[in-house]
Amino acid sequence: MDQADHILIVDDDRDIRELLTAYLQKNGFKVTAAANGRQMRAALEVGPIDLIVLDLMLPGEDGLVLCRDLRASDNRAVPILMLTARSEETDRIVGLEMGADDYLSKPFASRELVARIRAVLRRTRMLPPNMRVGSDEAAPMLAFGDWRLDTVARHLLDASGTMVMLSGAEYRLLQVFVEHPQRVLSRDQLLNLTQGRDAELFDRSIDLLVSRLRQHLLDDAREPRYIKTVRNEGYVFSAAVTPAVSAPAVVTGGMA
Amino acid sequence: MKLAAIRSHWWPYSLFGRLTLILCVGLVAAHTLSFGLILYEKAQSSKAMMIYYLGKDVASSIAILERVPPAERASWLGKLERGRYYYVLGAGPQGRPSQSPLCKEIAAVVSAAIGPQYAIKTTVMDHALRGPQLNLHLALVDGTPVTVVVSPPDMAISPWVPVILTLQLAILALFTWLAVRVAARPLAQLAHAADMLAPDMQTAPLPEDGPLEVARAAAAFNAMQRRISAYLAERVQILAAVSHDLQTPITRMRLRADMLDDGMQRDKMLADLAAMQALVEQGIAYARSQNQAQTPDEASCRIDLDALLRSLVYDYQDAGQTVALHGQFGQPLISRPQTLRRILSNLVDNALKFGREVEVHVQPAANQVAISVMDRGPGIPQEQLSAVLQPFYRVENSRNRETGGSGLGLAIVQQLTIALGGTLVLSNREGGGLMVSLLIPAKS
Repeated sequence: MDQADHILIVDDDRDIRELLTAYLQKNGFKVTAAANGRQMRAALEVGPIDLIVLDLMLPGEDGLVLCRDLRASDNRAVPILMLTARSEETDRIVGLEMGADDYLSKPFASRELVARIRAVLRRTRMLPPNMRVGSDEAAPMLAFGDWRLDTVARHLLDASGTMVMLSGAEYRLLQVFVEHPQRVLSRDQLLNLTQGRDAELFDRSIDLLVSRLRQHLLDDAREPRYIKTVRNEGYVFSAAVTPAVSAPAVVTGGMA
Repeated sequence: MKLAAIRSHWWPYSLFGRLTLILCVGLVAAHTLSFGLILYEKAQSSKAMMIYYLGKDVASSIAILERVPPAERASWLGKLERGRYYYVLGAGPQGRPSQSPLCKEIAAVVSAAIGPQYAIKTTVMDHALRGPQLNLHLALVDGTPVTVVVSPPDMAISPWVPVILTLQLAILALFTWLAVRVAARPLAQLAHAADMLAPDMQTAPLPEDGPLEVARAAAAFNAMQRRISAYLAERVQILAAVSHDLQTPITRMRLRADMLDDGMQRDKMLADLAAMQALVEQGIAYARSQNQAQTPDEASCRIDLDALLRSLVYDYQDAGQTVALHGQFGQPLISRPQTLRRILSNLVDNALKFGREVEVHVQPAANQVAISVMDRGPGIPQEQLSAVLQPFYRVENSRNRETGGSGLGLAIVQQLTIALGGTLVLSNREGGGLMVSLLIPAKS
């Protein structure tokens, strides 16, 4: 990185804007702050922005509206880190569906924000453009073999539409696999790629996670259909991954 | 003391019993009194009638005996005999002299009827079988003694009278029971409705019909229930609003704390902020869980319960916690996955707070699945097991010593369980620790 990444902070609280600006500047970022959607658009006019830190709860146009508008505008490729006051799963899903690349619930540690910003920047730069979450070609639902993977709600769906939930580590590993199909990935690479967040929690061996994933995918370790072991090298995700029609889990009406 | 003891012994505990007792005793007493009065009246009047006719009859019989020739008198005696009395020529049976008012009255009536020329002497004889027998001794004009032997009036009542009486008492008892039931049942229904109020205030309103007083009580009760619901909703709203508004200042303080140079002070402040944030999150989660219970916003779908439990347990294991999974369900389940996951992670978090080793057991049961989360912590005193499901309730023992807690954790779980149509059962484990069992309907 020859030049500092330019972060745009959108938050209606002046103190939080100032505190974040100071902290991010201290950490080597170039920072612009905006109090609302109008100021945000003005800042986007002025110069290239590498990432937007967007507060969900804004007076007037809220973060979700701004997020959706951004995705429909010329700035659709700018990654968005959503700040939410809630830590509920539904908010995360809604935020991600609206096109946010990641989210962080308030209150957060400054260090955590910096780590997330760096992770999102690294991820969006590493992924091929058509795999970028938030871009037009974003596929919230991926298909391989008998399975579909909902990348927003983060679960698997089997052929009958039954929801199979994954643990955080399992999902991250599977995400790496489906993002890099037919490529041999070493254990080190897998460890690196899955360390997007909560790195400190991720200390189980890749082998254990692979065996758990195989269990979920009903994959036979001796004759695997999906995750093949490459001796002395690592693993390869051998199934073809295609974007799937966004058919959700089998939903039953009302109270079941 | 003695009286009170007797009273409490005989005094029924239920309103039903008391009313029945009072009404029955009162009605039976009144009934017996009037029955007795009628009986007495009847006896009095029939006695008066008998004495009156006795006088007239004795007068005419004596007049006949005076007029027929002495030799024919004996043959007339049979014709003059009546049901209750007969005539004997001669001194007749002699009894003891009597001064009873009845004897005097009979003597007076008879002598008034036959005239003052006859001197009447009365004696009484006791018969074992027929009761006292009255003898009227007098002499005809020619000196022949005549005795009128009078049996006492037969006061025996007809055999059907006790039957009728019993029947009447039975009818009385039946209608008393019916009346008391009509009066007491709405009260029982009211009590039942009041019992059903907790914990979610979603009880169907009482029917506002029936007798005027009952309808009014039901209407008042329904109004009260609505008010309580409104207060509870308001309380939740206030809690949610305050919790929500606290998040911004906490965020600011969190960021400011990061800037502090004094490591020890900063760590203390961060710990305080984390505690505050935990309370705020619980407040918001509780408000949300109550909305969930009333209007679930998550759709039900078919889920692999075993995968859900595995992923949950693995997440804890990956974070270095000791959480083990036992058993399996083995088939898809129709439920709300996020709600179910939140319930279970709240239960596991709670269990981890009090006991380091947590077990999750899953077991299929008839039309439902039982998921139990068990710890080896201090448990909860038996009498507080149901109270801990109430919001803001805190167990006053070691279970809360170090953590404090908002008193909302289990209330949130309870609300979410209601949203799933399930039930939550708390029990203390043998050998110590708490077991929370979640029972949810399993339709696959």
